[in-house]
Amino acid sequence: MNWYGRSLASGFLAVLAGLGFSSQVQAQTYPTRNITMIVPFAAGGPTDVIARIVTGHMAQTLGQTIIIENVVGAGGTTATTRAARAANDGYTLITGHMGTHAASVPLYPKLAYHPQKDFEPVGLLAGTPILILARKDFAPKDLKEFIAYVKANESKVNAAHAGVGSVSNVSCELLNSVLGVKPIGVPFNGTGPAMNALVAGQVDYMCDQIVNAVPQINGGTIKAYAVATPERNPSLPNVPTTAEAGLPAFQAQAWNAIFAPKGTPPDVVAKLNRAIVKALDDENVRKRLLELGSVIPPAADRTPAALGTLVKSEIAKWTPVVKPVN
Amino acid sequence: MNATPGHAPVKSIMPNWVRNPQEFVGGIALMAIAVFALWASSDLQGMRGFSFGAGTAPRMFGFLLLGLGALITVVGVVTEGPHLAKYHWRGPFFVTIAILTFAFTIRPMGMIFAAMAAFLIAACGSPETRWKETLIVAVCLTTFCSLLFPYALGLPLQLLPTFLIR
Amino acid sequence: MGDIFTNLGLGFGVVFQFVQWTPAFLGGISIPIPVNILLCLIGALVGTLVGVLPGIGTIATVAMLLPITFGLPPVGALIMLAGIYYGAQYGGSTTSILVNIPGEAGSVVTALDGFQMAKRGRAGPALAIAAIGSFFAGCVATVLIALLGAPLTRIALAFGPAEYFSLMVLGLIFAVVLAKGSVLKAIAMIVLGLLLSMVGSDIETGASRMAFNIPELADGLGFATLAMGLFGFAEIIRNLDAGGETDRKLVQEKVSGLMPTRRDLKETTPAILRGTVLGSILGILPGGGAVIASFAAYTLEKKVAKDPSKFGHGEIRGVAAPESANNAAAQTSFIPLLTLGIPPNAVMALMVGAMTIHGIVPGPQVMQKQPDLVWGMIASMWVGNLMLLIINLPLVGIWVRLLRVPYRLMFPSIVVFCCIGIYSVNNAPTDVMIAGAFGLVGYWLIKHDFEPAPLLLGMVLGPLMEENLRRALLISRGDWSVFLTRPLSAVLMAIAAALLILAVLPSLRKKRDEVFVESEN
Repeated sequence: MNWYGRSLASGFLAVLAGLGFSSQVQAQTYPTRNITMIVPFAAGGPTDVIARIVTGHMAQTLGQTIIIENVVGAGGTTATTRAARAANDGYTLITGHMGTHAASVPLYPKLAYHPQKDFEPVGLLAGTPILILARKDFAPKDLKEFIAYVKANESKVNAAHAGVGSVSNVSCELLNSVLGVKPIGVPFNGTGPAMNALVAGQVDYMCDQIVNAVPQINGGTIKAYAVATPERNPSLPNVPTTAEAGLPAFQAQAWNAIFAPKGTPPDVVAKLNRAIVKALDDENVRKRLLELGSVIPPAADRTPAALGTLVKSEIAKWTPVVKPVN
Repeated sequence: MNATPGHAPVKSIMPNWVRNPQEFVGGIALMAIAVFALWASSDLQGMRGFSFGAGTAPRMFGFLLLGLGALITVVGVVTEGPHLAKYHWRGPFFVTIAILTFAFTIRPMGMIFAAMAAFLIAACGSPETRWKETLIVAVCLTTFCSLLFPYALGLPLQLLPTFLIR
Repeated sequence: MGDIFTNLGLGFGVVFQFVQWTPAFLGGISIPIPVNILLCLIGALVGTLVGVLPGIGTIATVAMLLPITFGLPPVGALIMLAGIYYGAQYGGSTTSILVNIPGEAGSVVTALDGFQMAKRGRAGPALAIAAIGSFFAGCVATVLIALLGAPLTRIALAFGPAEYFSLMVLGLIFAVVLAKGSVLKAIAMIVLGLLLSMVGSDIETGASRMAFNIPELADGLGFATLAMGLFGFAEIIRNLDAGGETDRKLVQEKVSGLMPTRRDLKETTPAILRGTVLGSILGILPGGGAVIASFAAYTLEKKVAKDPSKFGHGEIRGVAAPESANNAAAQTSFIPLLTLGIPPNAVMALMVGAMTIHGIVPGPQVMQKQPDLVWGMIASMWVGNLMLLIINLPLVGIWVRLLRVPYRLMFPSIVVFCCIGIYSVNNAPTDVMIAGAFGLVGYWLIKHDFEPAPLLLGMVLGPLMEENLRRALLISRGDWSVFLTRPLSAVLMAIAAALLILAVLPSLRKKRDEVFVESEN
């Protein structure tokens, strides 16, 4: 349904209910009832945790409950399709991430939505840096040796990932394309099993989000070569950045952001964005996000427009790297 | 599950050489499912060098099921066995309609309507239904569910029809 | 040894922590409240009540109730969640026994003999022995975790893809053995289950397999959806065939005794012991070990029994052994989480989520860094099991009385609960429709004397088997001999082969006898 058709339909429903708000009136009083936040992953996953921390604070600002609805399936695209088709009145939102709103475009040629055409960017929540990890007895000692080793033993090394289209999968594809190698990729069902295989030494290396990896690195069961962000992460002060360790071309961060269906009134988006910004400035929210190893975006990156630019650049970044599934 | 369908045997439409129609038809149906699965996975890639393709395992099990179905069919010809069991239309029909009604109305109409409708339609499936008590139980059950799921358990279930909320 | 007592002491100290509550209306008098015990009790109660609703299994219950623990302090939240988990498991067994609707893979086995017992008026003893067996298994497994948690982790790590593949093959053989009818038909059902499990996206390429562009099929058919259809809806439809109500009346008249007799207890004691041992060992293996625990226990009982033909027709050992195994595995499956910080299954992944929400990301050092949390949880497992026993034994009477509700009112209620249950797992109406379709399939299967239990097992083990086979071959670069050259894998394969021969031989012999009898006629 296009924008016109959708607003016509929602207008029709509003008249039917005898309420007859125009979107202008609605925005001044918004929100007047509970807001549904769709999270395209299981409760307790990294995206869910970030969404719950931030929306918990947003709900106070907005004065309405935000109900989290976890809808899993097809790398988050099932939920995102549903959100794209929801009413654009500001009462249905989605917490998307790098996968659902960027890498999915090249990954699924038959995707039922487009991150740019079907969504209004609302605001960036947090980024989770990607690490290059290896089993603890893997021969290379640092990133330089790792690069040389993988290039020399391309046919022997195994790279684990958490399933086609997962953050660990697409970021590893990026790493492999930067290195110009095509090792065997061993697929697992989620980051848990993949991490288990790495700890047990059944596979050689993988790329994964910082959340799951920090305790394992500190416990000495696996080792980290580098973090793929411009700055070191406070939770792993001894792990160098890729730029420091000699691979500046590999930059990857799994970001999470809130989106609304296309055509959501601009003042509603602005109000939601203010609530996000306020939450990200809250001391308690910041503390909890930092505990997870997340990177809180600076003020300039928190506007809807900045998120729109990020989505555009991310789609451009992943398109040449990610192979489509059929 | 007690699976001996030993009600009154239907008049056999099977030829005489089928001595165990239950197995015979069951085997043929399994073969049909196998052929369908093989067709549905025919577009998938097979072995890629030493590693499995997407279609390898479905094809493997498809052919295996085809073989097993054939074996069961043969058993149906060579051994003596029960006739086809009698099917009843009323129960399956109304229960299925009730389930479909629930599926189609839960999103637009909310849980109160969907649960109520599904209960009453399902109740049509039994000739023993007495409408007065059925209505009372339906109302009680719907009220219970409406309090339990969204309130006590905090699930994101919508109670009222969408057009009433907007 | 001394360490263990200090640690368990710490754990119980955490569980029995009192918080002073000074409400204004009492004028400054403070009352000590055992907060964690209360949370454990609430968790167990809520878990039982939700898990007992037909249509909602363990994972769904935990996922559903997870958010209500987010507002609590971390230790309290985890203790409550552990209570919910055991409660849900127990509630799932209750629906398996009473209405033949298993909420998760483990209780499929419980349904086999449990429901038959209920049909013969012995629902009370079935429910009670399930509670007693679970409690015993829970106690043993708790001690095992405290004593041997760390060394057992090494076994878990020794299991690579090749070993898992062999384990899954063994699991499928169990499915053949537990069938009560024709071995050939059981194998056909397993293969059908394997085929159904292939629906969805391919793990390695992401290609969509047999999903016909239906988005809800992109991740495959859900276990709960299928189980609800094949067991729940199919059973209802079958009962609606002529004679449903009279059958039920007979059941109600037959109800004899709520508690197991002394003979029952004597018979089940060795079964519970064996189930506990098997479950404790298999539960440690992340990624599917716990799934096959109850199947393995049932198979073992059937093989050691003097009269295996009773199994499938209301044999109490067929309830006691798998229930004990199931609960023991549920406990020991915490081991990889507590020692490595890696969740071995979906429920544990949710537990990690609950920890993460509270800013605790479990890792290999969780035992050193959060000893109160780890030992508190271990102690709460034991307390949770005790509570379940206390909650459930009196409830047995109520559940059995539920069977007296006229079937004409019961079946529409089950239909509605199943619909809401399936829908709420993923808020997907399509799942409800798929379950309905499998209800009709299940009805057809009953009419042709095909058993749905092996189908469900094939469905659960299928993806684990295929994925691990492919992983093993990827890592070995296509060398199939890994399954026999790796010692653990070879042992599992040998057991599987031996079991298959044992399963097929008697039926071949029987066939020969039949032919013999026929020719005499």
